[in-house]
Amino acid sequence: MTALERPPRAPRMHLGSEAQPPTGKYQWIYLWELPIRVMHWTAAVAIVVLATTGLYIGKPFFMTGGEASSHYLMGWVRFLHFSAAAVLVTTGIVRVYWLFAGNRFERLAALFPIRPRDWANMVKQVKYYLMIKPGDAPQYLGHNPLQQLSYTGIYALTAVMVVTGFAMYGQSNPDGMFYRLFQWLVPLLGGIQIVRFIHHVSTWIFLIFIPIHVYLAMRGDVMERSGTISSIISGGRFVRSDVKYVDE
Amino acid sequence: MAKTKVVVDPITRIEGHLRIEVQSENGRIADAWATSTQFRGIELVMQGRDPRDAWAFTQRICGVCTVVHAVASCRAVEDALDIKIPANANTIRNLIHGMQFVQDHVIHFYHLHALDWVDVVSALKADPAGTARIARQISPWPNNSETHFRAVQDRVKTFVSSGQLGIFTNGYWGHAAYKLPPEVNLLAVAHYLEALDWQRDVIRLHTIFGGKNPHPNFLVGGMASAINLDETATINAVRLSEIHGMIRRARDFVEQVYWPDLLAIAGYYKDWASVGGGVGNYLAVGEFPETDVRDLNSLYLPRGIILAKNLSKVLPYDDKMVQEYITHSWYEYEGGDAVGLHPSEGETKARYTGPKTPWTYLQDQDRYSWMKAPRYDGRPMEVGPLARMLVAYGSGHEEARELVKEVLDRLQVGPAALFSTLGRTGARGIETVLLARRLEHWYDSLVARIKGGDVQTFNQAKWEPSKWPKTARGYGYLDAPRGALGHWVEITDGKISRYQCVVPSTWNCSPRDAKGQRGPYEAALMDNHPLQNPEQPLEILRTIHSFDPCMACGVH
Amino acid sequence: MYFPSSRPWADGETLSEHLERRGVSRRDFLKFCGEMTAVLGLSSAMTPKVAAALAAMKRPSVIWLQLQECTGCVESVLRTGNPSIGDLVLDVISLDYQHTIMAAAGHQAENALQQAMKDNKGEYLLLVTGSIPLNDDGIYLTIGGRTAKEILVDAAKGAKAVIAVGACAHWGSVQAARPNPTGAVGVSEVVTDKPVVNIAGCPPISDVVTATIVHYLTFGNIPELDYDGRPRFAYSSRIHDQCPRRANFDAGQFVEEFDDEAARKGYCLYQVGCKGPATFSPCPIFLWNSGTSWPIGAGHPCIGCTERHFWDTMSPFYKRMPDVAGFGIESKVDLIGAALAAGAVAGVAAHATATGVHQIRERRRERELPIVNQPPSGKKE
Ligand code: HEM
Ligand code: HEM
Ligand code: NFV
Ligand code: SF4
Ligand code: SF4
Ligand code: F3S
Ligand SMILES: [Mg+2]
Repeated sequence: MTALERPPRAPRMHLGSEAQPPTGKYQWIYLWELPIRVMHWTAAVAIVVLATTGLYIGKPFFMTGGEASSHYLMGWVRFLHFSAAAVLVTTGIVRVYWLFAGNRFERLAALFPIRPRDWANMVKQVKYYLMIKPGDAPQYLGHNPLQQLSYTGIYALTAVMVVTGFAMYGQSNPDGMFYRLFQWLVPLLGGIQIVRFIHHVSTWIFLIFIPIHVYLAMRGDVMERSGTISSIISGGRFVRSDVKYVDE
Repeated sequence: MAKTKVVVDPITRIEGHLRIEVQSENGRIADAWATSTQFRGIELVMQGRDPRDAWAFTQRICGVCTVVHAVASCRAVEDALDIKIPANANTIRNLIHGMQFVQDHVIHFYHLHALDWVDVVSALKADPAGTARIARQISPWPNNSETHFRAVQDRVKTFVSSGQLGIFTNGYWGHAAYKLPPEVNLLAVAHYLEALDWQRDVIRLHTIFGGKNPHPNFLVGGMASAINLDETATINAVRLSEIHGMIRRARDFVEQVYWPDLLAIAGYYKDWASVGGGVGNYLAVGEFPETDVRDLNSLYLPRGIILAKNLSKVLPYDDKMVQEYITHSWYEYEGGDAVGLHPSEGETKARYTGPKTPWTYLQDQDRYSWMKAPRYDGRPMEVGPLARMLVAYGSGHEEARELVKEVLDRLQVGPAALFSTLGRTGARGIETVLLARRLEHWYDSLVARIKGGDVQTFNQAKWEPSKWPKTARGYGYLDAPRGALGHWVEITDGKISRYQCVVPSTWNCSPRDAKGQRGPYEAALMDNHPLQNPEQPLEILRTIHSFDPCMACGVH
Repeated sequence: MYFPSSRPWADGETLSEHLERRGVSRRDFLKFCGEMTAVLGLSSAMTPKVAAALAAMKRPSVIWLQLQECTGCVESVLRTGNPSIGDLVLDVISLDYQHTIMAAAGHQAENALQQAMKDNKGEYLLLVTGSIPLNDDGIYLTIGGRTAKEILVDAAKGAKAVIAVGACAHWGSVQAARPNPTGAVGVSEVVTDKPVVNIAGCPPISDVVTATIVHYLTFGNIPELDYDGRPRFAYSSRIHDQCPRRANFDAGQFVEEFDDEAARKGYCLYQVGCKGPATFSPCPIFLWNSGTSWPIGAGHPCIGCTERHFWDTMSPFYKRMPDVAGFGIESKVDLIGAALAAGAVAGVAAHATATGVHQIRERRRERELPIVNQPPSGKKE
């Protein structure tokens, strides 16, 4: 939080309002601390690996011939999947810790659009993206409510993947730790096939989320030239000094 | 003497839940009601399913005849989607189904039917040497020694003297209707035990082709068991020789144990050749297509209809003439309950109208069973071994005629004796001999084809639903151990939209229809039928068991 | 022949002790033995011998209820190898009630049941095959005019242990598949006051059933169970982890169509819908029918028959994924997923273009603004 210099007060601005063109200066603020950034990129790589290997597990599109003993294709793919799963879980642990140790943009509360104003702003944000009211997006330093919701959603989905994944993984060894930790889920969801189904279908939700997320991040960079992408690399972004941010 | 109401519920030593009610009068049966007391609704469960899965669901209609619904279902779907299965798959299905017949009939004879004729307790009084003498006269079976029979007798003695009679508790031992001398009773008891081991061993043919028994696996479009003589996990020379061994064992037992026992026992019960005939109409859809299921000329057991016991005229069968009535059953039809519906338009909607449980009598109820009442051209028909053997006999099936003649000569009775309780039990034996022999032929043809390089077991062409028509209807026929079976399927957008089964025991156990005509069980119980002691309904069991009832099949 | 101790069931109690405790006098007992001797056609001098044998002998009583079922489970048990069914019924247990093979019918059969329940109260083993229909007051199955539920509740009261044999007794099996027209449920939903052993499978391998009985007779208790009440000795591993085709799975060698080259090599059946990865069953180890083969061994995918609700959750049987209601006619999940993902990419591209157009207009009015401070070269302050 020390990283954030409070921008000077400026007249309230609306991007879309032609009467009041933006004024003021840009200011660099620090948002994403190192653990978050490392977590983000590690998880991103892990998820790409998981989705690719997962799709192969779901439909093995390459095959081998000859002696079974001289190949281990599915074996390696599954090994990669489970290794990436381990990495993903590690990043998850870091993120959970940082929900409490992080700055106010990183804490638990920052992931939930719970205040009434957040909901109103979310509607505006949607209208902005849909170009219905292109100028009317409320400005946030951290995640706007729409981001909060989708990131919380993606975290939840990751949790679903982890839990369903380990429930399946545990089945190969019913005396093992993973079985004991996750087996309760199986009858609860109505059988392991439903678990597998959820795991399988959720993969597609990731594959839908990723392009939209990447696009919106890049778009932020281009549109507002505010370094949104670089923020998840360097940790900070440029913001206008004269703009009133909702989450200042 | 006034009419006495008699209830036998449960009928045991059958598959499933059957209740028989009769009115007895002067030691005879004056009227009869057959009630199936179980309903599961499997035809309803079928809706919305993948037609390729249907065989597995319908197979669970019955675990006794375990292959017949699976095959009928595959045939129905293959008919709807116009799939021709490879010759090997057809032969493998014949081998599986043929072995089903042989095993099912032997189990029926020894384990379900025998205690109606054989007094186990009387066997304790037998002289094992006498039993051995009789046995050697009728058969070369190697176990027919005095030592063997003595060992069996000792075992039964130990059992009985334990005071815990287990499954033999409350049997009708000592009933005047038991006619066998102790020595023959002992013979039957010994073979009862031998047949227990035999049935377990020969049925492993199912396990080799289908992975397990009961409920071996089938496949729409063929069979899943691939043939490759050069691999371990496939049908190879090891598997083929195992199969051949079982076929030989099956045939030996049938020819050297079952058949001679049947003839020997029947000799003591000739009075049952004039009892329990019944409706006198017989229907066989035919079975064991030796080329393809559509080639009716290739059926090893022929198809046909016999009306009013007229053996000289076998009429053609037309599945369009089949209708099911529910007038006296616990169902309703959209178009009213007095009509008969063809199964392709069939409906299954349960509506119980009977009394509150516990029941005392159902015989004064208008509706009294979960069984529907199938009729052919409006007539009740008997199906099963007797129907098939009569149709085969009437159509000039050489091997069948020979065996029928052998039985009639040995028992010194005329062909009219066939229309009876004893005739039914005899026909089952004849059929078993025919099929135990035919298994070798199918085995040889499978081996010959493999030798010629044809190892195909599955037709892939119509596997994918994208290759199916938007709507399709199919009829799968099959003559099962208990008689003519039909599955009717309707497929809409790749899913089952209607499924109806008309099953052997539905025909035989049918209640009265809209015209009040009784079904075959009911009619048989009223055909010159004795009932000495209503408290010990042994005679009812004899006639009912001669049909080999399967209630789970009949209602499903 | 397998012959476990003849009386572990009653903690060393003999029949005569047992009868005495229940108020049957020594005199009555000897009288009964005399009658038995006569029935057996033996000389009366044999009576003491019979009495001695009888007094020392007692096979544990087993009552077998058959409810809403297909009798496949009974047939499976009839195929048992060790002990064989003959040995089991004659030497090991006293099978006092069993519809498919018992001699008596009607009232005599029902009396045998009542008698066995009375004589062995608190001590008999109750085997159940078949489910219990609960809809419409249970009218979909009656025996002797009574509903299945009533019969089961009655018989379970005096049972020492209850063994539910097969998928029907376990959870309802095929009749409990959607839409479960008769409201069929398993034994454990009706008998709730004592542990129910679930021998899973449709049907189960006979040896699992007989082994459970023998376990009970030999050790005097029921075997250890898993979360679904299945004996661990049989259901503690997945088929997939014991399958001889696992090497092909790991190698990436799969049957894609039945009877293709891969099928003729005995490759893995994963792609034609094998549910081995979802199914706990001893099939590949115990094998079926005296070690002959098993479904996958015969080239057909496992359909998951030891798992609860497998008719709905494991079907379509030739697809890897279940056909979850509402997901369209086929299991088209991947098609839908791929379409949506492609849609997302396309949508993003379209949005970017639209934004671009909009942006060009907006840009013109914007001024560059000076930067106040600089990023601290990636370091946290
Ligand atoms: C598997 C792929 C990815 C996943 C699952 C993912 C997920 C996430 C999540 C959950 C956050 C929120 C972090 C938090 O506050 O806890 C986030 C933030 C962010 N991500 Fe990603 N991400 C992925 C890939 C990418 C890529 C490829 C880029 C860049 C092109 C990117 C750019 C960003 C940026 C700039 C943020 C900061 C968000 C903001 O406040 O605007 N992400 N991402
Ligand atoms: C974003 C994260 C993940 C994605 C996108 C993903 C994707 C997939 C996919 C598509 C499958 C194939 C499912 C099928 O068709 O049967 C799969 C299988 C599987 N995944 Fe994941 N997964 C993820 C995370 C995990 C995690 C955290 C674990 C934990 C161990 C895991 C364990 C498994 C297991 C055990 C299987 C089944 C493998 C088999 O049966 O051989 N997954 N995954
Ligand atoms: N189909 C059939 Fe059946 C009947 N009825 C047959 O043989 O027994 Ni379960
Ligand atoms: S579990 Fe399966 S095999 Fe056993 S009775 Fe039920 S349907 Fe038949
Ligand atoms: S055949 Fe089935 S159980 Fe065996 S390895 Fe393949 S997927 Fe697993
Ligand atoms: S279908 Fe059932 S029999 Fe075994 S292989 Fe699968 S569990
Ligand atoms: Mg029907």
